[in-house]
Amino acid sequence: MKEQIEALRSTALEEVAKTSDLRALEDARVKYLGRKGKITEILRGLSQVSPEERPVLGQAANKVRDAISDAIDARKEVLDAEAEQQKAASEAVDLTLPGRRPRKGHMHVINQVTDDILEIFFELGFQVAAGPDVETEYYNFESLNIPADHPARDSHDTFFVKPGVVLRTHTSPVQMRVMEKTQPPVAVVVPGRVYRVDYDASHSPMFNQVEGLLVDEGVTFADLKGTLMMFVHRFFGKDTQVRFRPSFFPFTEPSAEVDISCTVCQGKGCRVCKNSGWLEILGCGMVNPKVYEYAGYDTEKYTGYAFGLGVDRIAMLRHAISSIGHLYENDMRFVEQF
Amino acid sequence: MRVSLNWLKEYVDIDISAEELAHQLTMLGLEIEAIERPGAEISDVYVGKILSIDPHPDADKLVVCKTDIGKAEPLQIVCGAKNMKPGDYVPTAVVGAKLPGGFEIGRRKMRGIESQGMMCSARELGMGEDHTGLLILEGEPPLGADAKTLLGLDDVIFEVSITPNRGDWACMIGVAREVAALFGKTVRIPAITMTESTTPASSLSSVTIVDPDLCPRYIGRVLKNVTIKPSPEWMCRCLIAAGQRPINNIVDITNYVLLETGHPLHAFDYDKLGENRIVVRRAKPGEIMTTLDGEKRTLAEDMLVIADAKEPQAVAGIMGGGDSEVDENTKNVFLESAYFTPASIRRTSRQLGLATEASQRFQRGADPEMAVYAINRAADLMQKLGGAEIAQGLLDEYPNRIPVREVRLRYARCNLLIGTDIPEETQRDALLRLGFERVKSDDESATFKAPTWRPDVSMEVDLIEEVARLYGYDNLRVSLPQVRQSEMVFAPYEAKVRQLRRQLVDQGLTEIYQWTFSCPEDVQRTGLDASYMNMVTLQNPLSEKQATLRSSMIPGLMNNASYNVNHGVADMAVFEIGPVYRPVDGADQPEQRLCLGMLLMGRTEEKHWSSPQRSVDFYDLKGRVEAVLDFFGQDAVFNGVKFGPFQHGQSAVIVTGNQTIGYLGKIAPPVLKAFDIAQTVYVAELYLDPLLSGGQQANQFQEIPAFPPSLRDLAVVVNASVPVADLMKAVYDNGGKNLKQVNLFDIYTGEPVPKGKKSVALSLMFQSGERTLTDEETQKAMDKIVRKLQTAFEAELR
Repeated sequence: MKEQIEALRSTALEEVAKTSDLRALEDARVKYLGRKGKITEILRGLSQVSPEERPVLGQAANKVRDAISDAIDARKEVLDAEAEQQKAASEAVDLTLPGRRPRKGHMHVINQVTDDILEIFFELGFQVAAGPDVETEYYNFESLNIPADHPARDSHDTFFVKPGVVLRTHTSPVQMRVMEKTQPPVAVVVPGRVYRVDYDASHSPMFNQVEGLLVDEGVTFADLKGTLMMFVHRFFGKDTQVRFRPSFFPFTEPSAEVDISCTVCQGKGCRVCKNSGWLEILGCGMVNPKVYEYAGYDTEKYTGYAFGLGVDRIAMLRHAISSIGHLYENDMRFVEQF
Repeated sequence: MRVSLNWLKEYVDIDISAEELAHQLTMLGLEIEAIERPGAEISDVYVGKILSIDPHPDADKLVVCKTDIGKAEPLQIVCGAKNMKPGDYVPTAVVGAKLPGGFEIGRRKMRGIESQGMMCSARELGMGEDHTGLLILEGEPPLGADAKTLLGLDDVIFEVSITPNRGDWACMIGVAREVAALFGKTVRIPAITMTESTTPASSLSSVTIVDPDLCPRYIGRVLKNVTIKPSPEWMCRCLIAAGQRPINNIVDITNYVLLETGHPLHAFDYDKLGENRIVVRRAKPGEIMTTLDGEKRTLAEDMLVIADAKEPQAVAGIMGGGDSEVDENTKNVFLESAYFTPASIRRTSRQLGLATEASQRFQRGADPEMAVYAINRAADLMQKLGGAEIAQGLLDEYPNRIPVREVRLRYARCNLLIGTDIPEETQRDALLRLGFERVKSDDESATFKAPTWRPDVSMEVDLIEEVARLYGYDNLRVSLPQVRQSEMVFAPYEAKVRQLRRQLVDQGLTEIYQWTFSCPEDVQRTGLDASYMNMVTLQNPLSEKQATLRSSMIPGLMNNASYNVNHGVADMAVFEIGPVYRPVDGADQPEQRLCLGMLLMGRTEEKHWSSPQRSVDFYDLKGRVEAVLDFFGQDAVFNGVKFGPFQHGQSAVIVTGNQTIGYLGKIAPPVLKAFDIAQTVYVAELYLDPLLSGGQQANQFQEIPAFPPSLRDLAVVVNASVPVADLMKAVYDNGGKNLKQVNLFDIYTGEPVPKGKKSVALSLMFQSGERTLTDEETQKAMDKIVRKLQTAFEAELR
């Protein structure tokens, strides 16, 4: 009987090793370990042997059973792995086919640039303010120290709705609208549409600005320089050169224009910068005390700065857009590029 | 303004390169926009002297000259000009010389005779338009000298941009003052050496100022027996460099002195002035005069004119009149130098649409003292260049003295404002160098008298700017402010709008950004009703198509769709967030409403290898509107409505509470036709203000149900006209408190559903928060629903 048990071990192990799929393996399991299987048969037959032999044979039979069981488990792992491989192979896809992308929309480049500008000033602690497109001359000009018949009005070719009412020529009227509402501190940025009677290859009758205004005690021109230099470095890159040049705006004094090193030629001189190496991107200055008088602010106690960025120009520079006309034509072949 | 560097050097020493000077001036606020070198292309043009002129044997129109350029042998040059004679000095381009326009002189034969160069006209050297003959040089310049240097063609021209506050910069002396201040040099003002005759000017003419509010100062001079002739070459060169055309010595001198001093002058023909006298007065209503440009101009009562005893002879400070113009027959001249009120000049200049060198300077504020120097300088030149006898004395009427401004500068305030410690002495020195005069000072401040040419200076900050400017903006400190924020929120909904914009983009819509202009015709074409024709109208629109501000976004969206269809784009899913405007009776400013416009056309998705194509329909647009409402946490109902732009039956008004917040629908065929679009288009317009201000509550947590739901499907056949929303409402209303969700999962028409009917399939979810529902409970609720549907909608169970 002992021989019989040993023989069974080798036959069984051989058979298990030969199984080629999970079904055959299951058959083998049933054949040897099942309720009517050969090992079960032997264990049952132990009642026939002598009590002396029974434990020895029983132990031997159990060992064989465990060995077969282990072999089956091992074989199952192998066969499982093979089966998975086959399944995977049959499910393989053409990795080169394009995926199903969610349909992509595009934000208009003007708003992308405006948002990027605003984000930088939000971090510094500015909040957004807004005002109407149709403005009174009081807010658009007079309260900004641009009286009627002031030559500065020449550079503001103005659309009139009726006498005294205009399409705002800049976002600066919002300065006064904000200052009228509250005493300092005030720290706002004002994005918005502005209008001028000017339409050619480099002018659009409607365009966009972002205005900034900071009024508090002790705000200095050095702060203005620092703020705008930080802005330029964040927006155009830290290697961009910045220069402040004296200029004139009726509502700021001292006033400055800010140039950055040409983004096309890096300051070497090219067509875009008219060989100067510099590009003008904004106007700024310390708020003129006459403006504070209109706002009812204490001109001794408070100082502050204001600046105005041309969003269109900045968008055109950043994205190398050749003509301002593209911006508002809304040709899908343009809009979808950004 | 064009500034000739050679000319500028007559007033101030300049010992740095043109580029460096341009940079320094730019950093001082006098922006040099471009640097031009008119003679840069010219080489090898020398001073030559014509020795002989012989006829060309084979050509009537040509002559053969021998010209000495200081070399051993004179050059033989064939020439077509006629104005020269032997002994004349002319600019001579030798073989290999280069002229403007890339023109190179070669050795060549002209009708068989060799020509070894070319003698040049003014035009050939890029010096103006004169091509009637050779440019004959004045005097006896050294033979063989570089004609380019002699003629000033080595000059550098700065294109200068002058800010509106600095009229004083618009002249050579003004620029020279700035250069002098920057480099610590002195300005050389040309000395006046004229001699006056014994005849008093007051015996020949008089000046009466009727309206001193518009003309605070008027100075006249009478010059007798002038010889009108061309101006000398040096003066022509200056005028050409400045971009002007020489005319005759008298006119040129007034222009020259204007460019030199910044002070506009006007020369009248003395004999053409009625009673030979001047009256400065407002125009009479409807008075007409012809200005020098030949235009007949009707004057208004608030315009100032320079009249003689009867007629206006000039629009004051802007342009002279044709009747008293100096011409070749002029013998006697009345010269004017005045100070006009800037605002008046600007107003008149705008009303007449006439901007001149003079008006631009007067409207920025002239220098009332320079008026005296300028008229004397001009008289001096007219004597030297035109032999004028200068009548004795100025006719100087100065009824309204222009005040000299005194301004105090507190050193500490200066440093506080600019955030940089500039020593007191440096502050004072900057102002003194700029021509300010210190009138008094104490420990902490000094008071300065502003130069008469600086009408822009009236406040302390003006002085601070001067200090900062001369100190150099680049040298000022840099710091970051501690930004303190106001407690007030100025644009509470702005962030939400930006968020909405991003969400719409994320959902696959592309943003467009249109001009807000519109016109009544577009409103009509869109089929919008008369209320939309009530628009904000511009008084000075760029064109008829942009005559108003938009009252709706729909016309603009349609125009844009039309544009894109015309350019081969078939699929569009676009939106715009922006204002629409509506006039408000009795108010200056219109109502400005923030709108969201959406337009869909073409396919729902981009083409993909795995999915079928589908065209957009009403529900694509409605879904997008619903997503927007979800974004704002708002519910709305969509009611059928007749709305001009839309096709009936696919046209809805969107209502929240009892407020109309917009419209959506399918564009009606006639509107499509009007915009030349041959495909289906869906458009929605939503008013965002009520949604933004609607107040959105934070979502409140609902306990997650502990007991399983009980799910049931229900399919009923009803008349096709039954609105599904009504059906679903009835299901909700009759499902009891445990009915938590009703979802529509199918609508079916066609076999076996009878014609005129539709099958509506709903899935219902019942759930209780307290226990597991029994089948009996759920069934009971279902039975009640079915009974209701049967009675209310004649529904049949499928």
